[in-house]
Amino acid sequence: MSHIHLPDGILPVWLWVLGFIIAIVLAYVFLRLIRKESLAKRLPLLGMMVAVMVLGASVEIVPIAYHVNLTVISGILLGPSLIFLATFVVNVILALFGHGGLTVIGLNTLVLSIEGILGVLFFRLFWRIFKRISATTFLATVLALSLSTFSMIGVVSLGVSHYEELIHSGEKEGIFEFKLFKGDHHHHEGVKGRGDVDLKHFIVIVLSLGVIGWCLEGIVTTLICLYIYRLRPDLLKLEGRKV
Amino acid sequence: MIQLSFLDYLAIEGRSFLHRFSPKAKIVGMGMVLIGIVTLRSFPGLLLLYGIMIALFFLARLPLKIFSLTFYPLIFAILFVSLSGFQIHFMVIVFLKVLSGSTGVVLLLSTTPYPLIFRTLDRFLPSLFVTALFLTYRSIFILIKILEETQYALYLRGGFQWGHPWRSLVNISHAFGHLIIKGIDASEKMYESMLLRGFKNRIHYRGE
Repeated sequence: MSHIHLPDGILPVWLWVLGFIIAIVLAYVFLRLIRKESLAKRLPLLGMMVAVMVLGASVEIVPIAYHVNLTVISGILLGPSLIFLATFVVNVILALFGHGGLTVIGLNTLVLSIEGILGVLFFRLFWRIFKRISATTFLATVLALSLSTFSMIGVVSLGVSHYEELIHSGEKEGIFEFKLFKGDHHHHEGVKGRGDVDLKHFIVIVLSLGVIGWCLEGIVTTLICLYIYRLRPDLLKLEGRKV
Repeated sequence: MIQLSFLDYLAIEGRSFLHRFSPKAKIVGMGMVLIGIVTLRSFPGLLLLYGIMIALFFLARLPLKIFSLTFYPLIFAILFVSLSGFQIHFMVIVFLKVLSGSTGVVLLLSTTPYPLIFRTLDRFLPSLFVTALFLTYRSIFILIKILEETQYALYLRGGFQWGHPWRSLVNISHAFGHLIIKGIDASEKMYESMLLRGFKNRIHYRGE
């Protein structure tokens, strides 16, 4: 829910190209923050956590078209810098499995990394306040998921005029059309009514299903965190925890 | 997800003309399909593209069983066609784009062994990224094996039952927790063995 499951060819070219550019620049910056030796040592861990996220995403809760992302727990275990690279890799694999198109990978990386990075930061902040794993994890997960869902809605809403063109494309002649930047000459723009994009409808559906999904994932992440806390508390790197 | 090993089996054991094509040509072909999906906007154009993908699927002599995999992305597409207020034309265009892309990906994965895909990608993408992709792919198989072993314990504890949602959530979460801890242990062992084999931030493929 909190990342874009749009197929290829729906978002405008400028939007997904920009998504790729920003994601690549950020990946470069985050990689510079990690020491080379430390990165080599943590690559297998990164691969394993990405695999966990991929498996989580394959458990589909069909009635609400939701699957757990496990980005927050992965972020807690990997740290904010590595989770960005992890979301990049997970989106490539998920795109191959049909969770959104290949062209949406850059944008999905940005949306999902918001969830992962904010999840870690909220987790550390709330731990200082509550000192309780359950409250800390649940709040961090729900908050991170809600913010990434809103960012996903923001990204989708940037392409509204493009969807309108797509809706009306059947009325045009010709088979191909390629526009890197949106022109301002389209005769449908600004004309509301028949065949217009119903963004409100979309937002209502996403948010109403999203709230259920956030709570569900919040509970699952909390239970996973409690399980890890019982068996391997060192993995959570909690500040001020009595050993 | 379990189908992944079957796709791998098909990619290695298949003997069709598509299996014999070079991985580079198939990745370029997939790129062309993507360009088609992005640029095509009319019903006939997209139908033609999807028709080509279906024809290639049958020419590659792949079992019908995996054709159902190509329909999976439709679950998510339904959410987005709500943008148009479920207009038939928009829905058909979106569904054809989804199906063309997913059929292309299934074709690529079921006719090309994954080490060959990663070896080809290694020439275009940063090796660190490709290494991470390769390790992820490897880790998925390791985790599926752990998950299969955990399944029996999960069933003994009640497994997943709609009638007992809380117990089901606890069971699923504990299964994931177990998977993560076992996965981390496995990743540490994997790193040690990779180091012994001379790993230095990059995986070398056969033929390099």
